Amino acid sequence: MKNHILQAYKQAPWRIQIQWIGLFLLALVLVASITGVYLSISAQAAASGRKIQSLERQINNINNEIAELTAELATVRSIENMQSKAEALGFAPLNPREAVYLEIPGYNPHADLALAPPRVSIIAESPSVRAAYKISLWDWLVQNIWQAPLRESQLEGEVLP
Amino acid sequence: MKPPFYRRYVIVALVCSILSIATVLQMMRINYTPFALDLIAKSEDYQGVRKTIYPPRGTIYDRKGNILATNQIGYEVGLDLKFVTDPESIAFAASTLLEELDYLDVFALASTEKRADENRYYVLSSYVSKEKVEELEQIKENYAKRRQETKSLKPSLSGLIWTPMQQRTYPEGSLGANILGFYNYFSRETAQGVFGVEEAYNRLLTGKPQTVYMPNDPNLIEALPDIEPGASLILTIDREIQKMLEETLQQALDWSGGEGGTIIVADPKTGEILGMASTPYFNPNEYWAYEATFPGITPYNRAVGTAYEPGSVFKVITMAAALDSGAADLNTTYNDASGVYWVSNSWPIYNWNYGAWGVQDMTGCMRYSLNVCLAYVAIDLLGPDLFYEYLQAFGFGRSTGIDLASEANFPLRLPENNQWVTLDLATNSFGQGIAVTPIQMVAAVSAIANNGRMMTPHVVRSVIDKGQQYNVTPQVINNPISPETAQAMTEMLAYSLEEEASIALVDGYRVAGKTGTGEIPTELGYTSNLTNASFVGWGPTDDPQFVVYVWIEKPTISPWGSEVAAPIFKDVVEQLVVLMRIPPDSVRAGMVSD
Repeated sequence: MKNHILQAYKQAPWRIQIQWIGLFLLALVLVASITGVYLSISAQAAASGRKIQSLERQINNINNEIAELTAELATVRSIENMQSKAEALGFAPLNPREAVYLEIPGYNPHADLALAPPRVSIIAESPSVRAAYKISLWDWLVQNIWQAPLRESQLEGEVLP
Repeated sequence: MKPPFYRRYVIVALVCSILSIATVLQMMRINYTPFALDLIAKSEDYQGVRKTIYPPRGTIYDRKGNILATNQIGYEVGLDLKFVTDPESIAFAASTLLEELDYLDVFALASTEKRADENRYYVLSSYVSKEKVEELEQIKENYAKRRQETKSLKPSLSGLIWTPMQQRTYPEGSLGANILGFYNYFSRETAQGVFGVEEAYNRLLTGKPQTVYMPNDPNLIEALPDIEPGASLILTIDREIQKMLEETLQQALDWSGGEGGTIIVADPKTGEILGMASTPYFNPNEYWAYEATFPGITPYNRAVGTAYEPGSVFKVITMAAALDSGAADLNTTYNDASGVYWVSNSWPIYNWNYGAWGVQDMTGCMRYSLNVCLAYVAIDLLGPDLFYEYLQAFGFGRSTGIDLASEANFPLRLPENNQWVTLDLATNSFGQGIAVTPIQMVAAVSAIANNGRMMTPHVVRSVIDKGQQYNVTPQVINNPISPETAQAMTEMLAYSLEEEASIALVDGYRVAGKTGTGEIPTELGYTSNLTNASFVGWGPTDDPQFVVYVWIEKPTISPWGSEVAAPIFKDVVEQLVVLMRIPPDSVRAGMVSD
């Protein structure tokens, strides 16, 4: 009797086989998916790495070029070259007795040369990293989904001048 | 009931399992054999390299923003033995393009078998020009095409590598080299600034090198850290004034037959050095010629590196001390009846011409540059304590603190020293028996030109670091004399020049100044006929904007400062007023009244 009852509730063998095959295929799909994602991310990381290398090289090359051009410009503008160019254009050193002096209000010949902004003591917060990247996902959700409607409703209620 | 062949299945399964386990164990064992460890160690070579990144050295500008020192790119050509496959082609290309290389040497090096414990990288040539590197690149490309065509491994420049590196360059050549110093860039690891600004500000200019690991695995590559370039400097030097000074000094040496010399121009109100010429001249772009240009103990910059007996220019300090302390006033007189002053009844002091000049007031003493009068002032009126107190207040006996490397300083011999005798006080009063540097004289005399305020001489006006400019605030060293004394001294020395119709006088500009002729001591005493000729002057007297110091060492045309140094001062000032845009006194008076 007991055997009969068990047999009545027992799964058919083909159903069990289907379940196992299904589980196996699920595991296979899972593994394939993870492998796919891993490969994709690895490929992207590798491509990014190569791009970084290439950009670093470009930065280096540009810096080198800037240095070369700066040095070249400095040589072209050296006092020796400038004097010979001036002489070629017909200029001559000024004789103090021939000098004519004009008073120019506000002109200060001794003013400090400024090649960069002056030193500032206040250090502004770096704007390069957006706030969204500095908070947790939960905080972001709270701020942008839950609190956002509240802020909007507050704004609507405010009386603006 | 067991299936048929059950036992056989079990045996096969066991055998397969044992074989699998054995394979895994063997694989693990292989990993720990000495050969495997060696192989793993070798593989690290291919995983990445540790590299030190040197920030570009800061630029040096003159006060108007003209570049005096900057960087250009040179290439280091080297041989990495690990990658060499064709020593012949490498030796041929390298020796053809780089003249200093010999084919056989390069071939021998490239043929060396690389051993694990040896350096595998060798530098063939440093600071190769961009053009030559471009030619090497062209050859490399051609070889690659030929290899593709012939489907062989040769010819190949594999292993021959070139890397860009920083190379210091001075676009103005030798101009201002004595102030700038130089950067010995050939050995990058030990490179540093030598002399001048390059040495004094070496740490700031260099920046902070960083060592980073650069993996070959593209998955591990990260962006390099941002490396700040070295700080840049804006100097107080004006390149036009500097060029004028160097040309004038060279002409002066050619004319006077002097062994060497220096001319300094400073702003007495701030202590800024506007120009500083010093011989011999030197091209820092070829710094390896340093020893040939400065043989023996030749100073790199005699304006700060050489102490000498200045002679009568020092009387300015003695007289300023006497007037400021109240030991003498403008009406104080000295009767030079015999032309000799006896120190402690033992040592005679004579005038420059061994003559007697009769009764003279203090202006007369300065006008005729009377040694006996100044010895009298120092011994009988001032006394040693007050005299040396003033000398120290004027900064003698210690460094001025100028921001240039290798500043010399000769200590004062003071009464508390055992070797000091009263004769020292007498000779010191007119600039003998005391050694000072030209920059010390400039700093001291600037106090007289600047209403008694002595400023720290300096050559750096601003520092540009991390994109921000810091301007240097002029520093007051001391107030050795009162403004009244300073004005009295200026008036006294301007009047003296005018009354003497000195060669130093400049048309249209009232200047004050003093000549100096310093005897040069030898091992036997003051036996040499050669002298140090000097002149120190400043102007315009109503609003001094420059102090000019001239020193010509051992002139042969004349021993006297009034004949050698004074005309050089005039020559310098005539050009200086144009370069500094200083109108003549009459024009300035008109501008003020308007």
